[in-house]
Amino acid sequence: MAVIEREAKIVNPLGMHVRPGAEFVKVANRFKSAVAVTNGDVSVNGKSILGMMTLAAECGASIKIKCDGDDAEAAMEALLALVAAGFYEMHLKPEDEEAS
Amino acid sequence: MTERQLKGIGVSPGIAVGRVVVVRWALPEVPHRVVARTQVEKEVRRLKAAIKDVRRHFGELRERAVDRAGVDAARIFDAQILMLEDREFIGGVAELIRENHLTAEKAFEFKTLEVRDLWTDAGNPLLKERLADVTGVAIRVIQHLMHRGTDDVWDGISQASIVVAKELSPGLTVQLDREHVVGLISEEGTRTSHAAILAHSIGIPAIFGLRNAVERIRFATTVILDGTRGTVLLDPTPDELAEAQRSETRRSEMTARLEEATTQPSDTLDGTHIALRGNVDLPAEIAAAKAHGAEGVGLLRTEFLLTGQSSLPSEDEQVAYFRRVAEAFPGHPVVVRTYDLGGDKFPAPFRTAPEPNPALGWRAVRVCLDEPAMFRTQIRAILRGAARLPLQLMIPLVTRLDEVERTRAFVAEEAAGLHKAGIEAAASVPVGVMVETPAAAVMADRLAEISDFLSVGTNDLTQYVLVVDRGNARLADRFTPHDPSVLRLLKLVAEAARAAGKPASVCGEMASEPLSAFLLIGLGYKTLSVAPPALPLIKWLIRQVSTERARAAADAALAARSAELALDILRFSLAEAVDLSLLDPDARLPAGRRSGSLKA
Repeated sequence: MAVIEREAKIVNPLGMHVRPGAEFVKVANRFKSAVAVTNGDVSVNGKSILGMMTLAAECGASIKIKCDGDDAEAAMEALLALVAAGFYEMHLKPEDEEAS
Repeated sequence: MTERQLKGIGVSPGIAVGRVVVVRWALPEVPHRVVARTQVEKEVRRLKAAIKDVRRHFGELRERAVDRAGVDAARIFDAQILMLEDREFIGGVAELIRENHLTAEKAFEFKTLEVRDLWTDAGNPLLKERLADVTGVAIRVIQHLMHRGTDDVWDGISQASIVVAKELSPGLTVQLDREHVVGLISEEGTRTSHAAILAHSIGIPAIFGLRNAVERIRFATTVILDGTRGTVLLDPTPDELAEAQRSETRRSEMTARLEEATTQPSDTLDGTHIALRGNVDLPAEIAAAKAHGAEGVGLLRTEFLLTGQSSLPSEDEQVAYFRRVAEAFPGHPVVVRTYDLGGDKFPAPFRTAPEPNPALGWRAVRVCLDEPAMFRTQIRAILRGAARLPLQLMIPLVTRLDEVERTRAFVAEEAAGLHKAGIEAAASVPVGVMVETPAAAVMADRLAEISDFLSVGTNDLTQYVLVVDRGNARLADRFTPHDPSVLRLLKLVAEAARAAGKPASVCGEMASEPLSAFLLIGLGYKTLSVAPPALPLIKWLIRQVSTERARAAADAALAARSAELALDILRFSLAEAVDLSLLDPDARLPAGRRSGSLKA
């Protein structure tokens, strides 16, 4: 059993919204380890999409990932790689400006 | 604006004409009923079976979305499928059934409302917007559990219809029948709503965020929906209908022409090349600028590296970013603007007490020169990136010559240091001045002597020259870069650069708008850096005009007494070369702001 905790920076412009959250949950669920994610004072289950959406981590935020279980190391490696790659959507950007 | 015209947020462009169908889409009324203790496990099984069915349904929707809207947009459904696989959520529903003996549908409703409350209270607008996704899942599951017919909202629509709803889910949007549903209007939602993104990908004109639409638009009314402008016209006259058809034809023609322009050179009719570069604020814009044929980056903002950070980005991080950008534009320059920090744009280590006048305060090059460690790190990163790539350095908010001289001294010292340390770096980089203060514009001749290029930032220049805060709605009419005072300075800068034999460019928002681009070419600017979405339009424009015409128009505009007259002159002159009706009559800028409207 291993417990690992790491910080990761959200780099995609849209932040941890639905699709990145979904990617994260998909990867987390490939492993047996429990995954917890913290942003500020909000802590959620990294295997729950609704939890991850509640997290609402914006671009530039530092999230804390905690993996607890036999395959914690592999899980951490996979999750950190996903976050570092900007959830493969570095090309998407916010354009939520109100029409004038 | 007439009473017949309503306004919302245009989320998917195009014009649609049709009869209104009001769609009711909401959580069904779930009767409160408890089940006997012995029935509890049966309810949990019923829940699981329903979830399995609905999960399959969303899998089908996802397939449909791939076909209709593309793989990227289809990923919207991944989240909804994952909600149905969310053990914490579904486990919570099962727990409610077991502990409170609720029916499966009531327990599911409770749990959904819990998420709703949690997300509404979080105060994050993005999260609130995503509620439509959760509600979409909940409606489907609850309808299934209650043996209600599902998604029958599209049945019975048999002629060109415009759907009006309180809220639209991605599931509803992807299922709609393109032949009969020609437009969408929703009370809730913005451009980033999933349903809006899908409507855009599928190509259905849509307006979201239209307050009280369901109340204000009567069933069976005929309306003209303009998804580009976000307007709905009720009960149009035959003339208005004909005009709507004409605009739509023009719009689709223009789209085709702009696509064509992307691969063509940005040369004027007389063969003068105007280097058209992209402004890049965020990494995501690199791809858009490249796809639209930008010849490099005329303004690479670096503040992005700092947003939300508790510490400064390292030298290596910056080198990596600069290289990444420059490698995307082989053979073309990338102009890195050094940190334009100030006001609320400070990273934690430099945060100071709020200033009463941040626009006139400690910001940009002033901060950099006062914080040499931060500035030198960035300069080293630019020098290292410039070893093999054509990076250039641009200093923002210059007001005095010594700011350029001191920056140059830093550049020389850091280059020498890197050389001594044996680190691969350029021996020097071109150092340019961002001309965005009246002081810099007036001193342009002297600045041109001691720098390698000048680039005008029109937003700040306009703000400082006219003493108008562009964020102040009351002064919105006064914020115009076409004011004769600003035009004179633009001319002054272009001439100063020419006299010194240095290139002059414009990287402000102004260059992204056709009428102003025409003016700038006329004033002698040979390089324009624009917002990536505006690249095709500006290139198309450049290809329609001659420098001679532009020069004559610019000269006449310079002599005008007011911004309005200057714009009239430009419009009149451009109209002789370009069919202005081809352009969006409001000449909307990518940022959603309007200026230099083409409408007379």
